[in-house]
Amino acid sequence: KANSGFNSLLFVLQWKIDDKPVKIDKWDGSAVKNSLDDSAKKVLLEKYKYIENFRLIDGRLIICTISCLFAIVALIWDYLHPFPESKPVLAFCVVSYPLLIIFLVAHRKDPAGMDPDDVWQLSSSLKRFDDKYTLKVTFISGRTKQQREAEFTKSIAKFFDTNGTLVMEAYEPEVSKLHDSLAMERKIK
Amino acid sequence: GPPRSVPAMLSLDFLDDVRRMNKRQLYYQVLNFGMIVSSALMIWKGLMVVTGSESPIVVVLSGSMEPAFHRGDLLFLTNRIEDPIRVGEIVVFRIEGREIPIVHRVLKIHEKQNGEIKFLTKGDNNAVDDRGLYKRGQHWLEKKDVVGRARGFVPYIGIVTILMNDYPKFKYAVLFFLGLFVLVHRE
Repeated sequence: KANSGFNSLLFVLQWKIDDKPVKIDKWDGSAVKNSLDDSAKKVLLEKYKYIENFRLIDGRLIICTISCLFAIVALIWDYLHPFPESKPVLAFCVVSYPLLIIFLVAHRKDPAGMDPDDVWQLSSSLKRFDDKYTLKVTFISGRTKQQREAEFTKSIAKFFDTNGTLVMEAYEPEVSKLHDSLAMERKIK
Repeated sequence: GPPRSVPAMLSLDFLDDVRRMNKRQLYYQVLNFGMIVSSALMIWKGLMVVTGSESPIVVVLSGSMEPAFHRGDLLFLTNRIEDPIRVGEIVVFRIEGREIPIVHRVLKIHEKQNGEIKFLTKGDNNAVDDRGLYKRGQHWLEKKDVVGRARGFVPYIGIVTILMNDYPKFKYAVLFFLGLFVLVHRE
């Protein structure tokens, strides 16, 4: 009896659920989109063995962290040197903060940049309260810097069962088809 | 044998999104929360810098300024050094040793040649002036006691702040659940 209690505890404490099939609330639009996006990424990483380029994401994380640091500095400085002596430092932080945010947004718009390797990009859209999910795969050649894209738009009902579980057997072939169509073009050229 | 079924809350279903996140995504969730707090903080500090007041927005707590202001009204203050204080103006001031600032009208002013002033205040709805509220032995207020001058107001909205102050548990509960929501939800 002590054993099954321990098993229950282990069941509760298992944190990582990467191997479980993805199950979400089918009426939650953002959860649906996130699960489709993540699974498309999984296909590229696991089936085609690509490596995720963390540089863009790391850049974003660093900018956000610096922004928060500016805010923390402003908070602590103001606490140690009460207003109005803290005015110049506060003014500096308050102006720098939105500048960093603007820089962050500008940074988002420039993905490929100087990368010498071939780059595969995924982008998707799912309108609010709509069931049509669009997945776009873009291939950017590291050598020629030319890019080619392929996309599909399908109803999310094709990929989820009635319980809200993502059916990879239905989704994975669609993602692979997009990828393969671009890969094949490359070989022909 | 197989594990017994676990109560719904313990199975952590609502955290499924979080459990699927890698280290970077988890850090991004925390950063998201930090950015929201930082943005609010920067807006407040920015207002402080722009208005020159250490408390640019205040809530009226008592009815001592009726009918001009009522309990729960939100006041917008500025505290520019260049603006002279004049009789009839509504000022927000702090009495030494007291935490809560008071919103009353300027009644009398004594001004020296070098620009230093001493002034007396009174609430519109009060029968007597504020001398009884000042510190022991203090009969006048000075510029350094001023938090700001009222430049604009929005009625009634401040009631939420009063509620949060009167029922701190309510405030902490709201903040806790808001924080949890931001941390667990993506975008």
